[in-house]
Amino acid sequence: MAAIIRIIKNFFIALREITIGNKKYYCWLAFLSFFVLLGLSAYVDQLNRGLIATAMRDQVSWGLYISNFTFLVGVAAAAVYLVIPAYVYNFKPIKEIALFGEMLAITAITMCILFIIVDLGQPTRVWHILPVIGAMNFPSSLLAWDVVVLNGYLILNTLIVFYTLYRFSIGKEYKWSVIWPLIIISIPWAVSIHTVTAFLYNGLPSRPFWNASILAPRFLASAFCSGPAIMLIIFQVIRKLSDVEIENRAIFKIAELVAYAMGINLFLLGAEVFKEFYSGSIHTYPIRYLYFGLHGKASLVPWIWAATIMNITAFLLFLSPKTRENFVTLNIGCALIIMGVYIEKGMGLVVPGFVPDTLGEIYEYTPTMQEIVITMGIWAAGAMLYTVLLKFAVPVYTGKLRFGLRGKRVVASDIMTRKVITVTPDVPVDDIEKILIYKNISGIPVVDKDNKVVGVVSESDVIFREMGEISHAGQKAEDLIPHGLTLTAADVMTSPAITANEHTPLEDLNRIIADNKIKRLVIVDGEKHPVGIVSRIDIVRTLKNIKEEQ
Amino acid sequence: MKGVRRNIAGINIDRRTFLKGAALGLAGTALPLDKADASFWEAFFQKHFREMNDAEIKKVIERLEKEYEQKYKKAIKVGNEKAIPGVLFGYGLDLSRCIGCRRCVYACVKENNQSLDPQVHWITVLRFKKGEKWIDLENSEKYYNPQQVPEPGYFYMPVQCQQCENPPCVRACPTQATWKEPDGIVVIDYNWCIGCRYCMAACPYGARRFNWAEPKRPSEEINPNTHYLGNRPRYRGVVEKCTFCIQRTRNGRYPACVEACPVGARKFGNLLDPDSEIRYAIEHKRVFRLKEDLNTNPKFYYFFAYGV
Repeated sequence: MAAIIRIIKNFFIALREITIGNKKYYCWLAFLSFFVLLGLSAYVDQLNRGLIATAMRDQVSWGLYISNFTFLVGVAAAAVYLVIPAYVYNFKPIKEIALFGEMLAITAITMCILFIIVDLGQPTRVWHILPVIGAMNFPSSLLAWDVVVLNGYLILNTLIVFYTLYRFSIGKEYKWSVIWPLIIISIPWAVSIHTVTAFLYNGLPSRPFWNASILAPRFLASAFCSGPAIMLIIFQVIRKLSDVEIENRAIFKIAELVAYAMGINLFLLGAEVFKEFYSGSIHTYPIRYLYFGLHGKASLVPWIWAATIMNITAFLLFLSPKTRENFVTLNIGCALIIMGVYIEKGMGLVVPGFVPDTLGEIYEYTPTMQEIVITMGIWAAGAMLYTVLLKFAVPVYTGKLRFGLRGKRVVASDIMTRKVITVTPDVPVDDIEKILIYKNISGIPVVDKDNKVVGVVSESDVIFREMGEISHAGQKAEDLIPHGLTLTAADVMTSPAITANEHTPLEDLNRIIADNKIKRLVIVDGEKHPVGIVSRIDIVRTLKNIKEEQ
Repeated sequence: MKGVRRNIAGINIDRRTFLKGAALGLAGTALPLDKADASFWEAFFQKHFREMNDAEIKKVIERLEKEYEQKYKKAIKVGNEKAIPGVLFGYGLDLSRCIGCRRCVYACVKENNQSLDPQVHWITVLRFKKGEKWIDLENSEKYYNPQQVPEPGYFYMPVQCQQCENPPCVRACPTQATWKEPDGIVVIDYNWCIGCRYCMAACPYGARRFNWAEPKRPSEEINPNTHYLGNRPRYRGVVEKCTFCIQRTRNGRYPACVEACPVGARKFGNLLDPDSEIRYAIEHKRVFRLKEDLNTNPKFYYFFAYGV
């Protein structure tokens, strides 16, 4: 019991992090709040007037909201694209960031639920859909299935994320015996959420456009493009704005996987287009409406062609390692995929299901401003949720916020920063300067080809070189330059590095730092591989954390 | 008291009631403050129609009648006649007679208390050009508006809820708010429907209508003889549809559309009675049902009594 109270208390201490930030952070939240409030006021008006505030009518009874819902289920399912390489294939660079993908899944599902709520005619009755207290039509209604799988997926990901963070917060990795069953369930579950959402459409013989068995595979393929594309952009933002280290290798690997998914997506789409147009039956009116328009009504035509071109362009950009490993073309590709898939499986999927309607009428649906404002409000709310989740998780993830130290013999592994950036001896000093500046750190361990620590390059080493002072290597920097050599880590590093191991107690760490007049200590394992860094600020932070736990 | 209180079932959610609902969800402590609020919560917590016993249904109906009386300033009877054992309703439509006059459409609106603004119709009459393919319905015209019907060179096909034996809408509904009664009529509980409109996506006949706005109908236009599962006044944000005039047919009368048809194109009766008119039509005419390939098994039969 006391343990649970402590966990809850610590949770709130960590929660406080979301209120603390720099100016940029507050501006970003204010910016999002503006759209959330705008969306909320539009929604209150929609509640007052009814769904007549939208452009939906009996002929096209679903529109922008359900389109966004469908797209976001895909984004949520795509977390599995990180989970599989991370946990099943144990690909370390992705394993370290799978958490951020799982948090994106939580966000996307929450947005899905919001999009369903705003689409309901009677939102206060939403509990009728639940089992026991309501009258859930399970297993007959696919919508009931969707409620089960989406909420289950939300719970699974919440458990994984918060359990992992809890373990990090007490300075430990997760227990494999706890995380493994959750991961093993979450993989097929991720596939199921998008499959069920596809079945929701393709189980309806009344709508020939949806009634295609290829729909579920198509949904999955396009989800595995758009979800990871969003993550790729988010990862770049995270590593820019926080001290979380995300390796290029992880980003390029994900980009490679996206290329395959997009290839499959385009193939499946092609198969669908062929079957529809070549067979030429009366059931092809919707696809003809989508791509060419019917009876002069063609509001979706420019959109779907734009989406097709975007998807093909992005596929080509991601196919070649040259363009997918260049951040300019990579980001262009990501943007194209997100927009392309958003159109293709959003409005491009939902609306043609209703046009022409079951009695042959063509009603052209174009969302009203109100629908657009509400939609933007939900996207802003999602961005806000994700930001706050990040703000909460990052200090725990990087080890800056740690609990359970009070009354315990604190050792290096409890307080060290785990994600260590290292360089090899041949890295030029110019590059080291960049790392020091952009990562906001004060020193970098230098490792040899066996990943053994051979030295440290600190701020002062760089300063000495810049000022022309004697470096620790005992040579004047200028002496080297005339020989046409580029200064490298090997030239300026302090060697051998002063190290400690994971079990070194806090008092000893303090003493070593004081005695050697250094600012940081590299923590190594038995084989001299770097496993962490304890800097003076880590010690200050530890003392503060211990005090706050009282 | 603004417009909110008129409709106590929680359909006219304004900011205040919305916040109240939110407060209930968040705190679970919101208590009804006055009588109207008590009724609001009664409506909010009303059980699924098929899970209520007779006493509970009676109480709900009393509350609804009071609500409707407040709103329309006249007594409105909400009936709850059960299906008659040994009855399975069926409908016949003689396409060779139909002249496309739409009298059925308006008789239906008069009988079933649909919203007049925005207009809600349960029957759609489609017009087809003779000699062109028509069964895909894409060539139909719903908004034809001639000086006079029938127009030479055209024929007409009214479509309404086909009361399928295997209704896709019932299967789709996530809350069991719509179901097939023992006499074959597919009904909706307007107090249980959450307005997700999945049934509308599932219906192959475009038979289901949604109340996109607050239904408007002047008090003098209200038909006071209603049925809980049929033509009682509806709310904003729920789905409705043809019920074969359940309030009439369960009391031994014809649906309003059958009575209104000036050419006798509409037939109605008990499919289980070998002497009924509908059985005669099925056994003696060449009947077909709409979109038979979907296996929905409609109890709505189209036929041609004579060739024109």
